[in-house]
Amino acid sequence: MDSNEPELSRRKFLQGAAIMGASPLIPSRALSASDAVPPQGPEGVVPKKSLGRTGVQVSALGLGGYHLGSVSSDQSAIEIVAKALDHGIDFFDNAWEYHDGLSEERLGRALKGKRQNAFLMTKVCTHGRDKKVAMRMLEESLRRLQTDHLDLWQIHEVIYENDPEMIFAPGGAAEALLDAKKQGKVRFVGFTGHKDPEIHLRMLDHDFPFDTVQMPLNCFDATFRSFEARVLPEATRRGIAVLGMKSLGGSGEMVRHGGITAQQGLRYAMSLPVATTISGIDSMEVLDQNLAVATNFQPFTAAELKELRDQCRQFAADGRYELFKMTTKYDGKVGREQHHFPTAEELPL
Amino acid sequence: MQDSSNASIPLRQIGRADAKVSILGYGGHHLGDAPDEKTAVRLIQEAVDSGITFYDNCWEYRRGKTELWMGAGLKGRRDKVFLMTKTCPHGRDANLALQMLDESLRRLQTDHLDLWQVHGMAFDNDPELFIRPNGAAEALTKAKKDGKARFVGFTGHQNPMVHLGMLKTGFPFDSVQMPLNPFDHGFIRSFERQVLPELNRRGIAALGMKPLSGHGEPIKSGALTAEEALRYAMSLPVATTITGIDSLDVLHQNLRIARNFKPMTAAEMDELRNRCKPYAADGRYEIYKMSLRFDNPESRLAHGFPLDTRQSEVRDMLGSSENTGHPFPERRF
Repeated sequence: MDSNEPELSRRKFLQGAAIMGASPLIPSRALSASDAVPPQGPEGVVPKKSLGRTGVQVSALGLGGYHLGSVSSDQSAIEIVAKALDHGIDFFDNAWEYHDGLSEERLGRALKGKRQNAFLMTKVCTHGRDKKVAMRMLEESLRRLQTDHLDLWQIHEVIYENDPEMIFAPGGAAEALLDAKKQGKVRFVGFTGHKDPEIHLRMLDHDFPFDTVQMPLNCFDATFRSFEARVLPEATRRGIAVLGMKSLGGSGEMVRHGGITAQQGLRYAMSLPVATTISGIDSMEVLDQNLAVATNFQPFTAAELKELRDQCRQFAADGRYELFKMTTKYDGKVGREQHHFPTAEELPL
Repeated sequence: MQDSSNASIPLRQIGRADAKVSILGYGGHHLGDAPDEKTAVRLIQEAVDSGITFYDNCWEYRRGKTELWMGAGLKGRRDKVFLMTKTCPHGRDANLALQMLDESLRRLQTDHLDLWQVHGMAFDNDPELFIRPNGAAEALTKAKKDGKARFVGFTGHQNPMVHLGMLKTGFPFDSVQMPLNPFDHGFIRSFERQVLPELNRRGIAALGMKPLSGHGEPIKSGALTAEEALRYAMSLPVATTITGIDSLDVLHQNLRIARNFKPMTAAEMDELRNRCKPYAADGRYEIYKMSLRFDNPESRLAHGFPLDTRQSEVRDMLGSSENTGHPFPERRF
């Protein structure tokens, strides 16, 4: 697959460009990515990978937007983004609902003057509501991110059993993705979720032209209600780019209790056939730790991957370090409201 | 509805067992919400005298309080009831399960249980841990052999697939307990659609629980009435429907519904399912499937999950270690 990738990517990119129409708003990321950021500092740069069939390349490590809102100050957040860019991280994740907008606002400020160097993604949080709500959120996200377009716009947190049905209902969020693409406000579209591979597969069953799909991928997932075993191959078969997340359990649970190191966890996730691995980074220490893995990135061999899966299997089996699958801890406020679930204060787990 | 207070509560055969139980079962967890032991004893006595014969409890409910109170209430009435409690090894060894059995018998003031069930099968690896050498399956077999339990079973509220996994172990269960209500039917993970027919096919007694979704949430929001919900659950092919009773008002309401019970027709059940369907699809009234809210601290600790300080059992647990000099239970044996 790797040997003919450049040619494939180029062809797909041309197709993609034709479908999108040559909107003057949209810079050609594929071209700007080819003259990558020069190496800086001892760590060098994070390597690039193809984003499915989009023809675009993105950094193998992505900066998670949620944790950007957890950083102690605006200034520190801006410095984290700047250093990430310097080391070749160009994939930036966010969501309309993270920290009530703070994550998007911080990223918008951090990318000021550097927007063209970033592959910018955010997520829409209708949680079952119609496309008018989605388009209003898009405008708000663009304003906070200080840009006129997104590189990727995804439907956030598809985790409730009836979410696919509501997203694909007439006038639902899926239509907003198409409209936004047509209007040149977003280049690519996808969806995300952390709960259940079944729900992801039901989303894919709709044969909607998703460019990306985001999911938890880690060495515990590999043997438990597994996105890696069930969704990753199906998305790949369809030519949809896979974006990994929760490589360490969402809040480092796997490192604190699960007997793996952060390096092992991140390396496992990045060794899978994904476009990028999105990692929450809330301090310079974590950024440096992740850069050390990503800039010198050496994929695990198949045997090493298996060894780590086997090591984690026992405690993977009840989902104790994947609280996002087994509890409500990672289910956001807006989704709970729309689905009439108790708040996080009332129902933390 | 007219109250035929002289009518008795109908009885049903419990699976293949040579025993009959009332179609309404007394849920033990809510007994712990009674204001004091005196009230709890009165509730149990009146329930027995009114014809409720099935009594549910569990070693880990309210750190033993509900078994103690039920034991006190059943004093002198033990032979009138079919008494069930549950053991809580949650994947740990048979020996632990048997120690819990002896403690339950002491608290309930009896020398045997009519039914002893393994509590709270919730996690995907619970069936594997249950059937492993030295797992809880061996405890069930031993308790039966020793005459401490007439029948054995398991319970759980999370996932029909875990129930089916337990059945696949091949262990000879007499009963299986699960949530049964119209919301369950309309949800993708449905015990009524996925587990109940399999139990009926195998001749295993089905015990319904959570007819009002746990804490009556859909009744409070007006989606359906308590009577509709209870009648629906009792109309299913189950031995009994276990429902929590924490006050005389609730007891009297449930007695009235059970005494006047006429099974719903298939059309009536469909009508209710259809009415509940819009609220069923995302699990909002089945929090027990969607979160760990109903999974007790013993279960969470054994499986390495965090505790939730909003849970009554956790509050009891934390309260009992404050070194006040008065740990719960206050009354020791």
